[in-house]
Amino acid sequence: MTPIFRKFISIPHFIIGIFLILAGSCSRIDHKQSALDPKGLVSQNQYDVFMLSVWITIFLFCAVGGCLLYVLWRYRAKTAEEAKEVPPQSHGNSMVETGLIIASSIILVILAVPTLQGIVLLNRVPDANDTESLEKLGLDRSQIDGAITVNVTGKRFFWVFEYPQFGIVTANELVFPASKAVRINLRTEDVIHSFWVPKLAGKMDLMPGQENFMWFIADQSKIIGDADAATAMPSVHDGEMRAKVFAKQKFTDEFEPVGGLFYGQCAEYCGNSHAYMSFRALAQTDEDFDKWVKRFQNAQNPNLATKSYDPQSSYEKGSLVSFADPKLGSGSNREYRSIRQIAPGQSPQLNPGAWEKAHSDDYEIGKQLFASLQCVQCHAVNRTGLGAKGPNLTLYGLRTSLAAGWMRNDEESLSKWLKNSNDIKYGNLMWNGEGVDDRHPLRNLENDDEKVDQLIAYLLGQS
Amino acid sequence: MATESIKYLSPDTENKAKTQVFPRPGQHTTGLIDWLTTIDHKKIGLMYGLTALFFLIVGGIEALLIRSQLWDHNMTVLTNREYNQMFTMHGTTMVFLVIMPLSAAFFNFVMPLQIGARDVAFPRMNTLSLWCFIVGGLVLNLSWFFTGGSPAIGWFGYAPLTDTRFAEVIGDMGPDFWIFSLQILGVASLLASFNFITTIINMRAPGMTMMRLPVFTWMTLIVSFLIILAFPAITIALVELMFDRTYGTNFFDFLEGGKPHLWQHLFWIFGHPEVYILILPAMGIVSEVIPVFSRKPLFGYGLIVFSGAIIGFMGFAVWSHHMFTTGMGVVATSAFAMLTMLIAIPTGVKIFNWIGTMWGGRIRFDTPMLFALGFITMFMIGGFTGIMHSSVPIDAQHQDSYFVVAHFHYVLIGGALFGLYCGFYFWLPKMSGRLMNEKLGKFVFTLMFIGFNLTFFPMHYLGMIGQPRRTHTYNEGHGFEMWNQAATIGAFILGVGIVIGIYQFVNSFFNKKLKPAGKNPWDARTLEWTLSSPVKEYNFSRTPIIKARDQAWENNYGSKENHSEKEPLDDHGVHMPDRSWWPLVTALGLFGLCLGMLFHRNIDPSGELVRNYTVAIAGGAVMVFGIIMWALEGPGGYHLFPKEEEE
Repeated sequence: MTPIFRKFISIPHFIIGIFLILAGSCSRIDHKQSALDPKGLVSQNQYDVFMLSVWITIFLFCAVGGCLLYVLWRYRAKTAEEAKEVPPQSHGNSMVETGLIIASSIILVILAVPTLQGIVLLNRVPDANDTESLEKLGLDRSQIDGAITVNVTGKRFFWVFEYPQFGIVTANELVFPASKAVRINLRTEDVIHSFWVPKLAGKMDLMPGQENFMWFIADQSKIIGDADAATAMPSVHDGEMRAKVFAKQKFTDEFEPVGGLFYGQCAEYCGNSHAYMSFRALAQTDEDFDKWVKRFQNAQNPNLATKSYDPQSSYEKGSLVSFADPKLGSGSNREYRSIRQIAPGQSPQLNPGAWEKAHSDDYEIGKQLFASLQCVQCHAVNRTGLGAKGPNLTLYGLRTSLAAGWMRNDEESLSKWLKNSNDIKYGNLMWNGEGVDDRHPLRNLENDDEKVDQLIAYLLGQS
Repeated sequence: MATESIKYLSPDTENKAKTQVFPRPGQHTTGLIDWLTTIDHKKIGLMYGLTALFFLIVGGIEALLIRSQLWDHNMTVLTNREYNQMFTMHGTTMVFLVIMPLSAAFFNFVMPLQIGARDVAFPRMNTLSLWCFIVGGLVLNLSWFFTGGSPAIGWFGYAPLTDTRFAEVIGDMGPDFWIFSLQILGVASLLASFNFITTIINMRAPGMTMMRLPVFTWMTLIVSFLIILAFPAITIALVELMFDRTYGTNFFDFLEGGKPHLWQHLFWIFGHPEVYILILPAMGIVSEVIPVFSRKPLFGYGLIVFSGAIIGFMGFAVWSHHMFTTGMGVVATSAFAMLTMLIAIPTGVKIFNWIGTMWGGRIRFDTPMLFALGFITMFMIGGFTGIMHSSVPIDAQHQDSYFVVAHFHYVLIGGALFGLYCGFYFWLPKMSGRLMNEKLGKFVFTLMFIGFNLTFFPMHYLGMIGQPRRTHTYNEGHGFEMWNQAATIGAFILGVGIVIGIYQFVNSFFNKKLKPAGKNPWDARTLEWTLSSPVKEYNFSRTPIIKARDQAWENNYGSKENHSEKEPLDDHGVHMPDRSWWPLVTALGLFGLCLGMLFHRNIDPSGELVRNYTVAIAGGAVMVFGIIMWALEGPGGYHLFPKEEEE
């Protein structure tokens, strides 16, 4: 070391510097999955009890530790002669011992009371008729009455979210209204998983052969702060959330929170790729949530699916029909959208000027590939497909993340994922599941950029 | 001393009974055969200790691989399956092959000396316990070399992840090795425990009443009872799991009506007492060391013993606090939360009493005392976070996060391992006859203390900001990187400290330059310090008559009527038992039986499952043969005539 360098970096400087860096990094507590940054009623309660226990234990540590230090200092043998002295051989003092036992019992009672209250809170949604407790919790009756229910099913290694009230199913991204209670029924189809969104509530396991329950309610005022609700919580149904997340978060350490975006994780070891089994929860304003539900209901409603062109009927402007397009291959259909009012018999073939292609060629080919490459055997698109083996991909283009919350849902990641998902998420069922081996068409995508691009066009086109 | 002098001068007479069927290795056995056939509790204790230290290195390497993998986000030191195998093996190794056998090593070596016995009640059974432990460790680690590699199911083996239905490698044998190894280790622990209980109850020297027992011996007794009550639960669970995996029963297969919840209850009703099985011996050691280096008797001896017993008793009533998030309902959850809080009281009592012991003493800071103080402070932190976890709302966030990892490492390293290292620095001079280098010992303590805290303190914070445990990697943007790097650096420092410590222990047996220890280098208080170091094979030439609780101290500093006396030597001298091959043979038979069971299944060319039990039956036959021969071995033995001073 040069003398100048040595002058500036002395050991005390170094230690102080390290300490400052460490303290600085610790001071940030709003990390993605931080339980120290509660944004809901249940997690706030858990945080409060935790902080109570922290203060109690810090007090105890200082009291007992201080006592220990005092004893060590006061009664240390200062010289070799002193170390050979024989101090009075006292055997104990029952008053002191009893006193300490009683004191520690009292301290435990301080922690026991909020513990019992917390157990009831996290297991039971408050009764809507119990005005007194609602007032105590700072809740409004409508927040309980308007509660939504989500059936969560864990599978290795992703999540199914079913909304029984609305008849819709999605995967890996739980959309919920920020002002309403959310009842979660937890089920699993294979091993034990655990549902954990630290900022909203503690965890609850998904036990095979048993249905577990938990609930949470976000605290809208904490999510939006002083801002306007609609801008602070970007809407999911029109892709604004996805755009905002992409703009703000670069998947680096520089993480900037997006209002309403919560990170969750499977918290019970469930096999090879347990670490990759994360998910997201997206809080929405009531209107945005209703719109999202509506979009999903329409998408998954079989009666609203695009029908084949019928020469007998007339079509409004903007209607979608499915009609043969030989350019895509013999027997292939594509979707057309009417530009104006269509009279009976004006099929896209006869009157091309009245119709436009609803999607790009890549999208239409991708759609066919989705079936011919056997994706459709496990993934449901535009249907609920509750029994499907893989995640539901309805309105997939609105999702912010891919591979159960692990990657950002853009072309680049999706291309990596489709080409070799085993590289990203070793042991995943898309690569290793029943019936998937080297002969499976999916395994041959690695060298076929064109097909991958077409599949991506189709998947991200689901928006 | 109030005894007449002894006239015999060890004439080395071998006194072989002519009636015996098979000759046993006798008095003059040396070398390898001596170590293989020994039934001396001190040698067995040493072998227990050495093997456990070896596994400590194995488990430590696994831990360092884990820490290297977590250095940064998306690292590829290990694949996810390898990582999962590592934490499974690390946990299983550290619990069953390190902390428990290290405790057993001290039980074996120290307990008979503390109660004035010449050996344990069943010396050959003690040997069998040792070999079963070694065979169990071998079976567990053999799993690396067969289909699927070692188990990747976590040390808790939660059903239904252990079910063949959910195996991620076809024909995965890891869980089978895990099951059989745990069963054999259970046999080892049970044999040792029955032995220790019988010894403590029946073989105390005259005057050694129960309330004069050294606290370490008390803890041996309590832990032994815990083992014999807790292990049957895991044994049954493992048998059921073995049947599920091998013969297609449905104890835990929920698709056929089984109940994964049942596994958790069976596992934790063993697993929680197991936690106290791991920590109580360390508490016993610390309760011996602190009075010695404070030169005062233990403060509130009765309360410490009683609180140890209460902890052991209540340890069976809190197991479900490991399952707060499994949906047990409000009532069960509340009950277990309250009971868990209660168990903090007897634990706190011990800490108060240790401080009370030091109060008014003359405290010396030798290496054992440093480790004891490290134990108190680190265990205190681990205990405090334990109280936090007893509160269900807190646990709902902490469960399966790195906060829990921090908590139980504070209890098991800062607590148990520091306590055991304290024991090594304290009692090793008695075993080896040489004092260890104090400076090096203090250096080891410093390294371990700094490394340990650097590794595990940041994990509290990591858990609070949401790092889940048992995940082989983490994503960018969570802010986990920095403190994981601190933890990894700390882990390597801790590892270096532990290895230097092990070097020092082993070295003290071979390095002739070290200072001889003499009978009582620490001016210690209990009976084993009245014996020469290393202890002669017969321990006590004449059985002492105990007059007080801290007999060695009373002999030196107490009033005349409290000095111990000695029983007269029998005319035939000290009867020593012969060595025996049969415990080893029996254990090898058990090994064969397990291997036979592990490999009895085959798929024949037509795709049929073929079961072939030849090897298993042969192994079982060897085991039974060993036991029969053991019974027919005859009395054997020889007599020694030690001189007055030779003990």
